[in-house]
Amino acid sequence: MSSAPGRRRLGSLAALLVALLLALTGCGGTSLAENRGDPKTLTIAAVQDNNSFDTAQLQLGNNMQYWWPVYDTLIIVNAQAELEPGLATDWTYNDDETILTLNLRDDVVFSDGTAFTSAAVKANLEHLANGGGQFSYMAQGITEVVPVSDTIVELHLDRPDPGLLDALALIAGAMASPAALEDPSLATNPVGSGPYVYDAGASTVGSEYIYTRNPDYWNPQAYEFNTIVIRPMPEATAMLNALKTGQVDTGSIPISNVSEAENSGLRIDTTPVNWRGLIIADRAGAVVPALGDVRVRRAINMAFNKPVMVENVLYGQGEVTAQPFGVESQAYVPELDDAYPYDLDQARALMAEAGYADGFDVTMPNTSGFNYINPFVAQQLGDIGIRVHFEQVPANSLIPELLSGRFPMYFFSLGSQDAWGDFRKTLLPNSPWNTSKSDSPELAALIETVRYTEPGEERTAAMQDVNRWVVDQAWFAPFFRENTVLASNPRIELTPHAWLVATRIDDYHLAETN
Amino acid sequence: MAMFVLRRLAAGLVLVFVITTIAYTLIYSTAGGIARNIMGENATAEQVAAKEVELGLDQPLPVQYITWLTHALRGDFGSSWFTSQSVVDTISTRLPVTLSMVIVSMLVITIVSVVMGMVAAIKGGATDRVLQVLSVVGFSLPNFWVALILVVVFSVGLGLLPATGYIPLTLSPVDWARSLILPVTALVVSGTASAAQQIRGAVTDVMQLDFVRTLKARGLSARSIQVQHVLRNAAPPALTVLSLQFIGLLGGAVVIEQVFAIPGMGTYTVSSALLGDIPSLMGIVVVMVVMVVIVNLIIDIMNGWLNPKARQQ
Repeated sequence: MSSAPGRRRLGSLAALLVALLLALTGCGGTSLAENRGDPKTLTIAAVQDNNSFDTAQLQLGNNMQYWWPVYDTLIIVNAQAELEPGLATDWTYNDDETILTLNLRDDVVFSDGTAFTSAAVKANLEHLANGGGQFSYMAQGITEVVPVSDTIVELHLDRPDPGLLDALALIAGAMASPAALEDPSLATNPVGSGPYVYDAGASTVGSEYIYTRNPDYWNPQAYEFNTIVIRPMPEATAMLNALKTGQVDTGSIPISNVSEAENSGLRIDTTPVNWRGLIIADRAGAVVPALGDVRVRRAINMAFNKPVMVENVLYGQGEVTAQPFGVESQAYVPELDDAYPYDLDQARALMAEAGYADGFDVTMPNTSGFNYINPFVAQQLGDIGIRVHFEQVPANSLIPELLSGRFPMYFFSLGSQDAWGDFRKTLLPNSPWNTSKSDSPELAALIETVRYTEPGEERTAAMQDVNRWVVDQAWFAPFFRENTVLASNPRIELTPHAWLVATRIDDYHLAETN
Repeated sequence: MAMFVLRRLAAGLVLVFVITTIAYTLIYSTAGGIARNIMGENATAEQVAAKEVELGLDQPLPVQYITWLTHALRGDFGSSWFTSQSVVDTISTRLPVTLSMVIVSMLVITIVSVVMGMVAAIKGGATDRVLQVLSVVGFSLPNFWVALILVVVFSVGLGLLPATGYIPLTLSPVDWARSLILPVTALVVSGTASAAQQIRGAVTDVMQLDFVRTLKARGLSARSIQVQHVLRNAAPPALTVLSLQFIGLLGGAVVIEQVFAIPGMGTYTVSSALLGDIPSLMGIVVVMVVMVVIVNLIIDIMNGWLNPKARQQ
């Protein structure tokens, strides 16, 4: 039996504990951003960590979120995928499109005090071309960069490059201070001229990247927020919980979390940037002879009940398609979305006509990121006699394995941006996602037509002809365009980008009700 | 005692060497394609080959290992292949996060499990049975599940505590404590239950020894016997259990840090493993092994202090 003083001590201890808990929980579920006390702080949850701020090592996709605040680009590609002036106020090509002349702003200063001039453009493009990064190819088609004056620069090409302007709106256009380009610390301490400066002292790499307003920025009114905080949150559940409790303002969530996010009162925006489906790589039939027959490839396209897949695999967050180009691509042709409707009878007839009535065997990779789709693929290809054998591939070996050309056919997801960039990515003999290095004189001629056609409607039509040929020849079997889903705190409004999974910082705003 | 510590230290060094050698061999056996992953899809075969040379991946495994080891002995663990961040710098920012979570968890486990184990062993009867049932229930709850339930209830539902993130102690002690309450609770549920059971068993065993009966016959108070004699004699097995708990907490932190988006060693381990970032992974392996060695050394020293027979072994 405990004594009265003992009970009093216990009572005091309990009271102290309760007081401590109240003190600790007294602030409620306040966020880190809110703790900073400025409603004009935008906290973004990113699905992956930053790789580098070195402009030669920048990446597209989710990584853009990290470098957009600090680096201006020569040209801007806005949310509607239209090109606008950036550091370059305007631009013109010569008659044969081998010299691009850019007029540059004269009021831009890098955060280290260096003035932005044509010399900076030359230094940056050479740094990218020679830097060995993933996107060095964007600058490698430029044979010479000629500063004509401080505010005029010429980019010389040996032949027209229909993707150059788009590249200058992406990584090729990102400008860092020329004084910082050779400093290895650029990877962790960006020196740009963008609307924000990176606060390395307040940031914790891998946890929280903090950007504050650049006081010398030339276009401050375009950016509503005083502080940008980016928190890498690769775990989807953690991100959703952070969104629900207001710890972060916005983030890209998996489609399986959409209804939960909506029920929690979060705002949902979508953009169909990526298409998913089969890349029928072995178009020459080198590994699986059947795939060399276009009738078989068309049969594969007809074997998939895509509306049902969109409903069950994507929870309705996508659109059926049969073309490997997004709706905002210059190559997009609306009617091609339905080029191969689900028709098992016709698919089987095509297989029989090609001499494969009994089907054939094919080995496809199975990896953790895409294994959700494999039962659908195996079952529906099985319906036309194609027997799929899955080979396990570790997630961090998937890209090297696919690029090696070892797999004749595989499920994959590719983003679609500008048409020429997509051609370079998937259709040319040396394209990375032409993994079996298929070559067609007919396709090459169509692509060269695009190169030498004047920009405008004619070039757009030529790009669409490339698309028609690729769909007709069934180089791919796209299933659907999958929505990238952005969930946001209702205090935030945003305009998703038509080409990119990341949202530009100037496309985030405070909701009017705030 | 000095010889005892030196022997344990020497054994620890051998362990560090053996584990890092095995880890290096295993990790590098899966290093194929890393250069391509770093360089990206647009790199040419020549660029990928040049990157392999730059990283030393073209060298035979023993050469690579000796190179790594000589650098590591100088404290140079290199930089991440994917982010260019110094491995030592990254670990120095992430280790305190994990350690603060694990050390607080250890304190909670130690206090709660000792109290539960002692009470169960001494009171017996219904109290013992209730505590045993609680222990079994606690032991069977997966920590990630507990973590998710805690977030749903206390963060999303009640809005009392942050759902994610970590605030350094130096920035705000109150926010630091708030950011740790849920992760620590999720981590300790299973460990406390397990340790309480072990401590209960150890205390029960000691309570049945002759010397306890003798002490009671000499008229010593129950509390004095329990604290000064029973607990001290039950301490060695309890310490061993607690040291195992500490090592288990380091593993548990990998999952818990993911659920709470805590930027510690756990999330660093997962991201490095997914990328195949070998310099980072090797740095993590070394730090984790050294920590295990240090904890075991401390436990051995404490056991030696408590039990002179252990010093002579």
